[in-house]
Amino acid sequence: MSTTVASEANPEFDGFFTHAAAGHVAFPHCRACGRFHWYPMPRCPHCRSIDLAWRRVSGPATVLSFTRVLHPFDPSRAGALPYVVGLVTFADAPGVRLVTNIVGAGLDALRIGDTVTPVFRAETDGHTAVDFKRA
Amino acid sequence: MSSQTVAIAGIGATRPTRRSPKSLRALVVEAIEAALADAGLEPSDIDGVVSDGLVMPTTVPRDWVAAQFGFQRRYDGGMSFGGAASATAPLHAQLAISHGLAHTLVYYFGVDWGTRASGPYGFHDLYAGKMTFEKPHGFTGQPQYFALWARRYMHEFGLTEADLGQIAVTQRQSALLHPDSQATRPMSLGDYFASRVVSDPLRVADCCLITDGACAIVMTSLERARDMAQPPIRVLGTGFGSEPISGDDVFTQAGGMMRIPGARIATERALQQAGVTLSDVDFAELYDCFTISCLLQIEDVGFCKRGEGAAFIRETGIGIDGRLPINTHGGLLSHSYLLGVEHVVEAVRQLRGNLGARQVANAEIGLVGGLSNPDYGVMILGRDHR
Repeated sequence: MSTTVASEANPEFDGFFTHAAAGHVAFPHCRACGRFHWYPMPRCPHCRSIDLAWRRVSGPATVLSFTRVLHPFDPSRAGALPYVVGLVTFADAPGVRLVTNIVGAGLDALRIGDTVTPVFRAETDGHTAVDFKRA
Repeated sequence: MSSQTVAIAGIGATRPTRRSPKSLRALVVEAIEAALADAGLEPSDIDGVVSDGLVMPTTVPRDWVAAQFGFQRRYDGGMSFGGAASATAPLHAQLAISHGLAHTLVYYFGVDWGTRASGPYGFHDLYAGKMTFEKPHGFTGQPQYFALWARRYMHEFGLTEADLGQIAVTQRQSALLHPDSQATRPMSLGDYFASRVVSDPLRVADCCLITDGACAIVMTSLERARDMAQPPIRVLGTGFGSEPISGDDVFTQAGGMMRIPGARIATERALQQAGVTLSDVDFAELYDCFTISCLLQIEDVGFCKRGEGAAFIRETGIGIDGRLPINTHGGLLSHSYLLGVEHVVEAVRQLRGNLGARQVANAEIGLVGGLSNPDYGVMILGRDHR
């Protein structure tokens, strides 16, 4: 299982990347109260249960907002400008908003409310990032 | 009870600059020296030391400050961080003085984010959720967070880029009336649109400056302050508000996104303590880390309804001669970016008066709002009429 520096101290983060490596988008879901939460927490923030499990979503997401980044806030991305950061929501995971990159064709016409579908990208550190493209 | 009324008796500020040759610790000492001199006090007069609860403890700790001056601390405190901490500094003085713990306190705050390599972006590296789920997507800078909010707000409420530009242009005009502002060139709306886009829809001109500097404030009882060197500025009310969400999530997961619920909570508390309403406020210094955040606070503090911020700015006017002058020193956008402690200093100066072209006419009551998302602090200050 891949881990990031942060997830070594936060094992509750790992499920996202385990599912991503298998080609799925999944979020923490509480079996006690039936609600999703995000980011992952050791207990359900709604009812404080520890009976949590990762639940897959079907895939398509909706663009809540986005920004086209033209400045190298992260110097390692200076050669990859511009890129688009999106905040997307899922009909089958209410309350979750995922920060992602929106990639591929048609970005100039990207609008709030557009439907996007996941693209899985292997990172050099071994873990899998989830990007999205216009449907 | 007048014996428990707190007043600001002294202020000190270093001249803000992008890169200072002095260390942050030296800048803080300079600001405190200036505040003591302003109040006409010696270090032996200080028995309480207050800072924010996060940034200063890891850079310029209170015990280190006390050792530089020989402050005998009978009260020591820090709550929240950054802007919310500076705007709630009088809570410590109210607590310490009303309980007989201390009688005269100094609050200080400063940053060297102009010099420090990671600058403001490095600050958020302390949040594990951000590091794990946001940084791999290149979502790492505060302008990006507020760009998401700005685009969504435009979508919901019809805000335009020109509306944001008007905030930047107005505050620049005010900044040019302050002798120490970092921004020294005029800016027209055309200049605003020519400013480089960093994370659309936000431009460089929508973003705060980056600064090395520090400010300090001396707080004591109103009775004592009346015997000090400056006319006391009364702390009429102070409030703190927040929501139960961490810094990991606050820019993307907060239920209302584009809202700062703590601002309303803090404002109501401060107004209640002060016994005034927002219509009594003559000017406001709001935490304008970005044009869009200034606009949202105009709404969330309660000067107008949600979605009406741009219309409020157009119709009311937020320049020095407007009906509600906002960020009279140019704010974080055009004066300096010391996370809002300079807003407190400016509010005190406005209430002391005699600022020439920058002076808000008949300024009796000022409001300072400090944002450290999700925390928010409000301080309401007034002139002293015996």
